[in-house]
Amino acid sequence: MSTLTVEHVARIEGHGTITVDVDAGAVQSVHLDIVEPARYFESMVVGRRLEDAPLITSRICGICSPNHMLTSIKALESALGLEVSERTQVMRKLLVYGSFLQNHATHLYLFAAPDYVGLPSVFPLAETHPDVVDRALRIKKLGNDLTTLVGGRSVHPVTAVIGGFTSEPDPRRLEAFRDTLIATVRDAVATVDLFSAFEEFEVHTDGEMLALTAGDDYAIYDGEIAALRAGWRRPVSEYRDIITERVIGHSNAKHSTVGGEPLMVGALPRINLNAAALSPEAARALEKSPITVGSRNAFFNNLSQAIELIDALERCAGYIDRLLEMGGSTQVEKFDIAAGRGAGATEAPRGTLYHSYEVDATGIIRAGDVITPTAQNLANLEADMWKFAPTVVDRPRPEFLMAIERLVRAYDPCLSCSVH
Amino acid sequence: MAPRVVVIGLASDFGCQVQMTNIEDDLLDVLGLIDLQYWQLASSGHMPDSYDVAIVEGAVTTLEHIATLERVRATASAVIAIGACAVTGGIPALASHGRLEERYSLVYGDGPSVAPGRIKPQAVDSVIDVDYRIPGCPIDMGEFVQVLSRALQGLSDHLPQEPLCAICKTKENVCFYERGEVCLGVLTRTGCDARCVSLGRPCTGCRGLAEDANLESALRLLDERGIDTSDVLVRARLYNTLEEAFTR
Repeated sequence: MSTLTVEHVARIEGHGTITVDVDAGAVQSVHLDIVEPARYFESMVVGRRLEDAPLITSRICGICSPNHMLTSIKALESALGLEVSERTQVMRKLLVYGSFLQNHATHLYLFAAPDYVGLPSVFPLAETHPDVVDRALRIKKLGNDLTTLVGGRSVHPVTAVIGGFTSEPDPRRLEAFRDTLIATVRDAVATVDLFSAFEEFEVHTDGEMLALTAGDDYAIYDGEIAALRAGWRRPVSEYRDIITERVIGHSNAKHSTVGGEPLMVGALPRINLNAAALSPEAARALEKSPITVGSRNAFFNNLSQAIELIDALERCAGYIDRLLEMGGSTQVEKFDIAAGRGAGATEAPRGTLYHSYEVDATGIIRAGDVITPTAQNLANLEADMWKFAPTVVDRPRPEFLMAIERLVRAYDPCLSCSVH
Repeated sequence: MAPRVVVIGLASDFGCQVQMTNIEDDLLDVLGLIDLQYWQLASSGHMPDSYDVAIVEGAVTTLEHIATLERVRATASAVIAIGACAVTGGIPALASHGRLEERYSLVYGDGPSVAPGRIKPQAVDSVIDVDYRIPGCPIDMGEFVQVLSRALQGLSDHLPQEPLCAICKTKENVCFYERGEVCLGVLTRTGCDARCVSLGRPCTGCRGLAEDANLESALRLLDERGIDTSDVLVRARLYNTLEEAFTR
């Protein structure tokens, strides 16, 4: 028996270690140990003013901080019974999409792409394929610029608060940004073409697939939770009854199940559940791509993110049109402190994110709960690793381990989120 | 020979490392000045045995972190702490209050034991000497490039010392004190261009205490304006909970 390990898997956010036991050419066991340190966020918010929660919990993750901030704000607004304006909702969607564009470009080009061309990182490509690296950096920068335009800063935006925004972008800058979004659609289409052309592994994932869904919209900010196989739709307020978390000995992140089964969240489940709502150009790209709606090949999560880039660009251009047409400016809704409980959800780049809080009559938080997309995915990812490893075990060892790393990266895991 | 640089993440949200990838326009130029030997977030590879500069993100929360830092100090000629977590303990240090085991139980219950070697969160300089500090949550990339260049030339970090208000006044922002709201600008190290206040939010102190911050007179200032000071210390502890001034 030999034990193979990949310590601190590279090109993912956070620290995780892969361990595979192989005996006489057969895979005996596969583990993904999440060694990212615990920070106990759910304990940190207890006793703090409710206004502090979005600020504290957004520090769970530097990549999807806009999602943590907004999910926290939504959960608190639900606890307070506070409704926000359409303008605020549209601006919040732009903030989420800023993080989609930034994250997907980073994940696809900086983290995933080197695997397909056999390089340790994207940096050597700057010499050999400057056009590809320039494209990657253009999309990534556009995402950061969008988050900065609306939120004031790309990592840990400043302006989003309970009730609305404390500042808002100049309409002229919005208008100019709209044109840049449209001009970048061709970069996103080229990204889909690039990832469609790569030779892809296959693993048929068995888990349930969950995503938010909201009528005709490609839901990322609101809607209900939908299950692909079981076919149900349930309100976000019930998330703790739907998703069961349990502590696993080898991981600082908990594992999740739905109805006793592992589950997958992220771009592939979103496309499977909401393909009909994709923007026109994104729908065309999906049609042309090797993905068929309902696909269970977890590796296609990468290509699904590329398709979402097109959707995000077209959709954000539409949202900016809507803001300009509405005119006026955001007002932060006033609210009275009251005791209550509330839950909120958004789609983070790597899947559905849930927050919930219990607030007392003086506005102090008494309990908090966060379930991150990566924590939901880990049980399913590990199940996929068990299934996939035997299909590539006959390859030379470095190639075998790299194939398993590729599967881990396909989920775009955020391990500091998963532990929090 | 270009200085050999490693990037190490302890307990953090990776936000400052993400910021490092966010200098799209300058990223490749900066990389041209250094020999980047290890950066788990961006490249496959192993931590080398020998290097010149270590960039450390995150708070110290495990025994393994202490061992890592001791190795780093013995190896690197310059250690750069980046971000509030590494510099002041930041948000992770909020878990330094009370009993860690109670926090552990609240999050993990009494099932299988995880999070081995856990200790109360600390700033990096409580474990090893730090040569350069880049404060903030997240770091400002202009400041990062500046401090990194200074480190490569062997100069001191040259952090701004005065409180935020000094810069904020030049931005013509309406002072939050005029609106009866608590703002920590009077205590906090400047260098952020008063970004939050300019965008309509009071300072939360992410850059740590200014060199000459005076808590007593800050409280008196607020009190004179009729602002409730009962929770000012709680607010000021958000990023600075390990500061002696706030532990009383």
